[in-house]
Amino acid sequence: MKPFTYERVVDAREAGAAVLRANAKFISGGTNLLDLMKLEIEQPAHLVDISQLPLNRLEDLPSGGFRIEAQARNSDVAADPRVRVRYRAVSEALLAGASGQLRNKASIGGNIVQRTRCPYFYDTASVCNKRTPDDGCAALSGINRVHAILGASDACIATHPSDMAVALSALGAEIELLAPDQSTRRVAIDDFYCLPGNTPHIETVLRPGEMITAVILPAPPPGWQRYRKVRDRASYAFALVSVAVIVATDRETITAARVAFGGLAPKPWRCLDAEAALTGRPATLATYQAAADLAVNGAIGRGYNDFKIELAKRTLCRTLAEARQLGIGGPS
Amino acid sequence: VELGWPSHVTADVAQKHITLSDAEIRERLSGNICRCGAYPNIIAAIRDVAVGASE
Repeated sequence: MKPFTYERVVDAREAGAAVLRANAKFISGGTNLLDLMKLEIEQPAHLVDISQLPLNRLEDLPSGGFRIEAQARNSDVAADPRVRVRYRAVSEALLAGASGQLRNKASIGGNIVQRTRCPYFYDTASVCNKRTPDDGCAALSGINRVHAILGASDACIATHPSDMAVALSALGAEIELLAPDQSTRRVAIDDFYCLPGNTPHIETVLRPGEMITAVILPAPPPGWQRYRKVRDRASYAFALVSVAVIVATDRETITAARVAFGGLAPKPWRCLDAEAALTGRPATLATYQAAADLAVNGAIGRGYNDFKIELAKRTLCRTLAEARQLGIGGPS
Repeated sequence: VELGWPSHVTADVAQKHITLSDAEIRERLSGNICRCGAYPNIIAAIRDVAVGASE
């Protein structure tokens, strides 16, 4: 690990000033950044610890929405009764991620900007365009079983690892950002992440020194929410495929639907085509299958990950059927 | 469990009361790595303590 200096800030103005130092970086839970620093993939000269900022409230908004401040811990958000009842996909996604210890440390802001778990990104003996622009991509011809089938490029096929971000995408969340000059802006989560194209080292629209201060959830859309994660182990593993769905039905007809995938793409993958193919249609397997075909339209398998195309379709069908069953049986 | 926090294996995350089943114990142990094959006895021990505590 490279030497670095460290300071803990207690208000946002101080954080904005501190992060303007050369090669400075924010740190909160450190559950991803520290690993990357040990491997010298990240080499910040100065760490600005924002974990103690007064930014860990969860609050109802007058609009009917909900605001989750960025320094709230993953475990506290997952356990919040309001999140569990009104945004259960967020709670389910958080609980599907990592382990209790990690969820206790990890912040909501950090969850959003965590880096890919592509093994070639972490293996400094391999080439990687994300680590070193124009280096090459070892995953393209390597063991690419966990890699992307949608939204990737010939420069990078890494996936985004967050479970929570998939639920946020289905819910249409916005991310609130604070610049060092204390100005704020909001970005829809689907616009926050960049596709790799020829610049896979650029992952988000974050500007230099900008900090995530909150996630803004709109009022919950109608319907039953469900997050399903498919992985090699039942616990403590990243998703091969995951999906967040929100399905509302009136008798046998789907009246509204939201679909977003994880584990398939460089960002949470919202499927507007699949949503349109579900809406107004009968809640049957044939409808689910038609939507699933649209969801993976244009998917490119790279060899070892070809199975994800079929797995994604089946995971979506199963989860839609399950959400519909839960919606009929339980409270909505 | 005592605080009513749900886990990944909780069927309905919105339910207020969580029952301490073996599946709940296993999921909540996740992240504590033991390499000696003692998990079944650890689960039994946690169950014993939980039953003792509620008596």
